Amino acid sequence: MATIITITSGKGGVGKTTTSASIASGLALRGFKTAVIDFDVGLRNLDLIMGCERRVVYDFVNVIQGDANLHQALIKDKNTDNLFVLPASQTRDKDALTEEGVEKILKELEHQGFDYIVCDSPAGIEHGAVMALTFADEAIVVTNPEVSSVRDSDRILGIIQSKSRRAIEGREPVKEHLLVTRYSPKRAHEGEMLTYTDIQELLRIPLLGVIPESEAVLHASNQGVPAIHQKDTPVADAYLDAIGRFLGETHPLRFVDHEKPGLLKRLFGGK
Amino acid sequence: MQRRRELRPAPALELKTTRFAGIQIILNSAEPAALDTHISTLFAATPDFFGGEAAVFECGRLPADAAAPDWAWLVRELKSRGLNPFAVQNASNELAAAAVQAGLLVLNAATPAPMAAEPEPEAAPEPALPEPVAAPAPHIAASNTVPTRIIDKPLRSGQRVYAAGGDIVVLAAVNPGAEVIADGSIHVYAPLKGRALAGARGDVTARIFTTCLEAELVSIAGVYRTFDTALDAAVAKKPAQIRLADASQIVIEPL
Repeated sequence: MATIITITSGKGGVGKTTTSASIASGLALRGFKTAVIDFDVGLRNLDLIMGCERRVVYDFVNVIQGDANLHQALIKDKNTDNLFVLPASQTRDKDALTEEGVEKILKELEHQGFDYIVCDSPAGIEHGAVMALTFADEAIVVTNPEVSSVRDSDRILGIIQSKSRRAIEGREPVKEHLLVTRYSPKRAHEGEMLTYTDIQELLRIPLLGVIPESEAVLHASNQGVPAIHQKDTPVADAYLDAIGRFLGETHPLRFVDHEKPGLLKRLFGGK
Repeated sequence: MQRRRELRPAPALELKTTRFAGIQIILNSAEPAALDTHISTLFAATPDFFGGEAAVFECGRLPADAAAPDWAWLVRELKSRGLNPFAVQNASNELAAAAVQAGLLVLNAATPAPMAAEPEPEAAPEPALPEPVAAPAPHIAASNTVPTRIIDKPLRSGQRVYAAGGDIVVLAAVNPGAEVIADGSIHVYAPLKGRALAGARGDVTARIFTTCLEAELVSIAGVYRTFDTALDAAVAKKPAQIRLADASQIVIEPL
């Protein structure tokens, strides 16, 4: 039985694709056979973040339309065993995604023995985003610590509760998780940003993790290696913790408290 | 009034009480010229506002000696503007008889009439029901209670709930960008951060209650207030009640 996880946010630029790449990699590192699908048809990015853009031959839309089979389109990740990427089409638009087509592909992935299918949702609340959340079993809502992002996350949660198959068929609802990204403990402490508790209070869904703001993310994107592989950086550790919590483990929150830099640190720099 | 019978599966016809929301057309005058002028000005800017909604003529405010208006003409005029009057209520015997002539039903008093004038007992006749088809009509008058709508999940940005004909109780947060609307009062036992519109069909006695007032907008019977400037410290993020004073002013008080 494959579990379908949708990574969504409503708002753009909050870190959905970065999170999709790291969550999918993290699950694969734990030994689960995992596929990550880019639903952002027309604005294909996941392949860049995963560093497989030069190996894209067939894409999601080709498979939906029967021009290629799933086996031809799935790209094996070079960093992690058990991980496969299904890239989006860059030359089409989101109308190419049909509910029947998406369902067929998800069923086929399940049939091929995948444990987790991670759906990287496009921004917005239109067709592409709805297609990405329709079949979700679990949803990870990626939110930045600012009001517009929180409001958009709230909106997308409402859409999950009304448009997902689970909601329409009256089954057990989609399990929702909150992932706060680009979090700066210092700025939250100084009141320039919402704190993760503010966000959680408004959205009222369980907190999966807090990913600190870090230059390592940009570095990882440029390299085409998911941030979770940036060994010993706070970002990678925070994603690893989040994976653990997703799988039911308990990990204390890290990288959320602001410590005043000591005298030495102030004298000798460091960030 | 409802006949409760054990019906076999899938009967061709079932009888149940219902209550449908409609528009009240309150007549303050029966003068054709005055009515004509006012109908024209009222609908001039928004001729398509009503999409064929059912409507009832409320006659309680007409002078006791008023001559019957030209019902057939009134119905025609209003129908051409998207309102479908089908009955009169609180009509004197004379008015009611003329209305029956024009094919309207006669409802008993005590319909949900939040804006109705002081009820005049003598103006509530007990006419014989004009035709058998009138059977469902008294149900409208008879059923005064609408079940309160209860919401126990957070209302999220972009979601909107409407409690037609009654009150609404929300047990979870109403988030910014969400909208709660009720024809009656609104009770929110959690932070109210979105919009709350009580008395949506003009009930000036409707109120809004919340245990934590942080609303973007509150409205009662169409009188609204936004909170661009900070709320009074006595009610901000605190339990509060919002009501209408003199049918025209929003009053916010701590609970």
